[in-house]
Amino acid sequence: MAARGRGRGRRLMSFSVEAVGISRGESLPPSILQPTPLFPPMEQKPLPLVGGEEVEYMLALKQEFRGAMRSLPFFIQPDAPHTDVERYSDKYHSSEPADSSLDWKPGEAAVAVSLVKVSLTACFAPQTLEKKEEEVSSGEEEGEEKKKQEEEEAEGEEEYDEEEFEEETDYIMSYFDNGEEFAGDSDDNMDEAIY
Amino acid sequence: MTAQEVRLCGLLLQEHFGDVVEKVGTHLLRNGAQHLRAIVQETGTPMDLVKKSLCVLIQHGACAFSSGRKGPGSPVEYQASFERILRILRYPRYIYTAKTLYGDTGELIIEELLQRGHMTMSSTVKTVADRLTLNMEEGHSMEYSEVSNTFSKLVETHFLQRCPPVEVAGKAVSATPDPATTPGAPANNTTPSTPESFADCYKVPHVTLIGRGKRRNSSEDGEDQRNAKRAKEDPETHGDEGIYWQVNFERFHLHFRDQAIISAVANKLDQTSSEIVRTMLRMSEVTTPPIATCTQALSANEIFRSLPPNYNISRPILDQYLTLLVDDPMEFVGKSGDSGGGMYVVNLHRALANLARATLESVVQERFGSRSARIFRLLLRKRHLEQKQVEDFAMIPAKEAKDMLYTLLSENLVQLQEIPKTPDHAPSRTFYLYTVNQLPTARMLLQNCFKTVANLIERRLFETKESKRLLEKSQRIEAILASLQASGAEPEQLTEVEEMITPPEKQQLESLRHHINKLDSAENQVDETIFLLESYIKSTATATR
Repeated sequence: MAARGRGRGRRLMSFSVEAVGISRGESLPPSILQPTPLFPPMEQKPLPLVGGEEVEYMLALKQEFRGAMRSLPFFIQPDAPHTDVERYSDKYHSSEPADSSLDWKPGEAAVAVSLVKVSLTACFAPQTLEKKEEEVSSGEEEGEEKKKQEEEEAEGEEEYDEEEFEEETDYIMSYFDNGEEFAGDSDDNMDEAIY
Repeated sequence: MTAQEVRLCGLLLQEHFGDVVEKVGTHLLRNGAQHLRAIVQETGTPMDLVKKSLCVLIQHGACAFSSGRKGPGSPVEYQASFERILRILRYPRYIYTAKTLYGDTGELIIEELLQRGHMTMSSTVKTVADRLTLNMEEGHSMEYSEVSNTFSKLVETHFLQRCPPVEVAGKAVSATPDPATTPGAPANNTTPSTPESFADCYKVPHVTLIGRGKRRNSSEDGEDQRNAKRAKEDPETHGDEGIYWQVNFERFHLHFRDQAIISAVANKLDQTSSEIVRTMLRMSEVTTPPIATCTQALSANEIFRSLPPNYNISRPILDQYLTLLVDDPMEFVGKSGDSGGGMYVVNLHRALANLARATLESVVQERFGSRSARIFRLLLRKRHLEQKQVEDFAMIPAKEAKDMLYTLLSENLVQLQEIPKTPDHAPSRTFYLYTVNQLPTARMLLQNCFKTVANLIERRLFETKESKRLLEKSQRIEAILASLQASGAEPEQLTEVEEMITPPEKQQLESLRHHINKLDSAENQVDETIFLLESYIKSTATATR
């Protein structure tokens, strides 16, 4: 069946040649075997941009706005990436000031804090909505208390861990001193010769 | 949500809110409503950063939360709004419009509200007064009452509106005292509550604000610290806690639409006609709902009375102008009756459709040449034409007409419609007609515009990244110069520091600045086209409902 169609007419195409406009004898353009160029040459050049005072002013507004947004607290930086290798002395570095993320209120104007609290309490302790009815007012305080409790627990755990580590290690803490006292001690008695 | 839209929103979020918010935002846009755990897992961002990003998005109105779909017990779901994020492109236009209407004070109020999303009236007034005081001369400062007046005016004309109060949990709860009997009904707050559905949307609260703007000088640092401490310990309440305001974008859009119509009339006809149309639009501002297809009918007598006083045209001339406007093929103004000297309306939907059509035609003209544009206009007017008819009507030789038609067809600006003569659709016995559909073509061009803006932003970021070293160096030198000048250095020191940038580097910096300005300016211009096409599409959608 397929051979019949093939053999009968080589130039039989799915649409009528005359209607679409290709007359006899004209060849179709050669088929393209690669993707179109990334920056094809344009026959018509684009129009120049509109100039004028209004446009300049809006341009300045836009750039100032962008700059201002970078300095507002809404611009969130990702956590600083950790160094490649975990060093042993990382444990003894003073911990960074507790990231006040949970106390964070965007901007000086407090956002509808109920917004945050409602959504956060939903995440912290998925309770059914009926319980929320009773606790919707006290729940906000509970949510805050829970947050504070968690923070305190985290801090307590950190402190506890440090103490534990201090007891467990074989090395004394003063081992990691940077040796200032060594030079200081030698100034006591200058009469003795130093080898 | 098309890929272009998501890409553009991602770039806008990244520029204004940072990478973390961009990640969370694009994830929400791509995947619809999600709850917190899913977002944390799928984006791989720590929980507290995700919470912060959601706070930022909600603060700016780009994200809404609602109770979960699976019933009262399911966690809260968050949904990002792509339209709202796109508005960021239009911020400079909003601020500039506020400046033209309400002066510097209005401009700063709108700018503060756009930067911060939601704000109370008292904090806005204080911040704006401080900023205005900074720019005034020594010894002068801005009164809070003046700023409050401008704020009230903005609210009266609906440019600012109250944020809808947050009641999701409370509402659902108060309706279900007994969840057993009404299982899932109230938890699904499916009807989105617009800010306008609340009664007090445009009511200015009674705020007690007495004072003047503070000027922050370096000499007053100590005093400021003491004041700040006192403010923290004793928070001043002004009687409007919990009432947050946001910018009403729809009202600005109506204003832009009116402006577009007026300038189109001014370009096509003359200044006086545009003044007449401006008067008509001003009179029907409060009576016309935003989605109306035409304004309320106004009689010629009313129009005559409301013309601005410096336009002293006589009554018969006004009638002539109105007749001209009605007969114009653009169909901006229509006549709907004869009482009162003639009842006239402004056809808003028709005007938007014509403006969109002009945009499409101009796009074809600039990309493919004036003869292709002729063919395009022909097809818009005559709807369906055969190949032969196109050649005849457009008066273009057959070969070239064929070429142009195929180019337009390959760009999808023109479609082919088959009309079979026989049931078996035989190609030799079928009509092939070329046609242009305005609405789908407008949608396609709108997507092209989004892609254009995204490309412009990416190119700008690329250029900035390429010359990062140079930019940092110039910033450091500026900082050094500023500190030297503040501490009173000699001119030789200043010139020495300035010479640290070599002339070829200066040239490079200049050309970089020029390129970045051009790209930024281009974004603003493309946004104007986006506004026109979006308004047309929205107006068609509501008109056909």
